[in-house]
Amino acid sequence: MDSQDFTGNHKLNPNTPTLEKTITLNETDRKLIEILQEDFPLVEKPWKEISGKLRLSENEVISRLKQLHEAGIIQKIGPVIDGRKIGLAAATLVAMKVPKNKVDFVVRIINEYNSVSHNYEREHEYNIWFTITASNTEQLTNILEEIKQKTGIEQDDILNLPTTNRFKINVRLQLT
Amino acid sequence: MTLDEIDRKILFEIEKGIPLTPEPFQAIADFIGITQQEVTSRIAKLQESGIIRRFGVSIKPRMVGLSANALIAWKVPENRLNEVGNLLSTFKEVTHCYARKTVPEKWAYNLYTVLHARERETIEKLVKNFSDAIAVNDYVILFSTREFKKTSTTTTMLTNQTSRESPENYQGSQGKL
Repeated sequence: MDSQDFTGNHKLNPNTPTLEKTITLNETDRKLIEILQEDFPLVEKPWKEISGKLRLSENEVISRLKQLHEAGIIQKIGPVIDGRKIGLAAATLVAMKVPKNKVDFVVRIINEYNSVSHNYEREHEYNIWFTITASNTEQLTNILEEIKQKTGIEQDDILNLPTTNRFKINVRLQLT
Repeated sequence: MTLDEIDRKILFEIEKGIPLTPEPFQAIADFIGITQQEVTSRIAKLQESGIIRRFGVSIKPRMVGLSANALIAWKVPENRLNEVGNLLSTFKEVTHCYARKTVPEKWAYNLYTVLHARERETIEKLVKNFSDAIAVNDYVILFSTREFKKTSTTTTMLTNQTSRESPENYQGSQGKL
């Protein structure tokens, strides 16, 4: 069963073989993505500059990127912003024990919050794991408190794990 | 570095992804009403200051065959936390590495790494290797079975007047991400 969930994210059934949904990248796609994970040329015609590094024309680069974007492989080409430096000073990871039949309900509530950036189901007694970022600890606590009330999940079934140090964040993925 | 109104407008526009047109920065410049040079030089400054951590492509790991994703929680002696965090960060397969508070009597894991791979077995092998390398045997592998949300929360900060103009919030003295 495949469906769009309420956030518009593609929802994967864990029993469905995921390979069916992955698209095989050719060598050029791989190179293109690797180049685009490095320093992006901040110039008038960036795609033209990139095309020079591959044996492609500017138009081919643009149309390949459009295809990769439409296929859902490329989310976007743009900045990864450091939230701390624009005022998002507090962050936490929350784990919850949610009964199977309540997962959809609970996830819908959690995902309504713009402050929640990631939300995953994981194979563990604590099965729902999501992150919250906010301006300060107080805001963070308030959001979590609200979620707790709306979902009816007991404090006993919640782990609040605030970030104390970031050693490495969101670097490039190895494609090869 | 303090953001002015134009920086915010630029960040807000490019956050969504630059357009796939021959001159993407010109399009953004036209939209905001400034020159293309101003757009690119401001982006460069935002990168230098670290507000933009990285500028480039964001891809969906699962869509390129990296369908196994796991969060690994490690229990590291407090006095070794920095050493181990830095060491784990050197592995190219580790995309994120964070230290977090524990929950007394409930949850003693204090260091977290994220791994993406083609297969679960690969992740299990890597984790075993990491465990040997850092001499930490107490860990739990949390494989993800469904992704419900994966976005950025920064856009709200770029448009939300009240929170971004409050200087005490702005300095981020409350803690670290």
